[in-house]
Amino acid sequence: MALNYDPALIGRVFENTDPVPVSAEMVTNFCQAIGENNPLHSDPEAAARGPYGSLVAPPSFAVTFRNGQHFFQHVPRFGKQGFDAGKDVEFVAPIRPGDSITLSSHVKEIYEKTGRTGSMVFVIVRSTLKNQRGEVVAHVDHRFMNRP
Amino acid sequence: MPEDNTPKDFDQIQIGDALGPEEFFLSKDQVRAYARTTGMWVPRFTDDEGARKEGLPGMITPGNMSLAILSKLVTDWVGMGGARMVRLGTTYRQPVIPNHTITLQGFVTHKNAEDRTAEVDIWIENEEAERLVIGTATVQFLK
Repeated sequence: MALNYDPALIGRVFENTDPVPVSAEMVTNFCQAIGENNPLHSDPEAAARGPYGSLVAPPSFAVTFRNGQHFFQHVPRFGKQGFDAGKDVEFVAPIRPGDSITLSSHVKEIYEKTGRTGSMVFVIVRSTLKNQRGEVVAHVDHRFMNRP
Repeated sequence: MPEDNTPKDFDQIQIGDALGPEEFFLSKDQVRAYARTTGMWVPRFTDDEGARKEGLPGMITPGNMSLAILSKLVTDWVGMGGARMVRLGTTYRQPVIPNHTITLQGFVTHKNAEDRTAEVDIWIENEEAERLVIGTATVQFLK
């Protein structure tokens, strides 16, 4: 099947979110929800003596930052059935309480694969997270699977 | 995390070394707590009845929460301060249904002495030993 989409959309940033301030409470609640009790993420005093010099959020906190409500209008669909097939995350720098995180997103790649259950089209959307100093903290690749 | 959180020593790691197994009961309340704190409070993650209306067997665990649980398996294995997880990839194969016991485990697949990284395969299993979520991660050791 030939994939029909506008090649110009690859790489074009379609979303820039407003900054989301990270509070200590957000990090604490996140840690509680996933059962995280590593002192680096839960004990400010112990974390201050650790390698990061202060408390940092667990790496997976990076995937909690969300795209805007119109995000899915910009994600090309192929066929009716589409779902979240997984994520690939590159952790570049820690996120700390007090940071302010923005997210910008673009379609990175579209490809087709044939598996045991037939043909699948994958749409990879990359969201890049930056802190208030403009430093990249993480790249999150969302892998959406479509069945044409 | 495990009682012993001494930093993992890169030189001691061998291909095939195990992560876990770590078994725990994933409650609906824990999934709701995650949904609440991450702004994912929608029926499929919070309420059986609402999830069934969406054609699901009942409420399911957000993929991001499965990712977080696997992330913690890796960072617990690494211990405190000696290394950093630099990459984590996950594939959601089947929904993780709460109110069941899940098992987290994995093993070391590669070791690269040059850049002091180790790669691991990790997964979440249900009681029937089906791998619901699979992933790979790269850990970078300091020094």
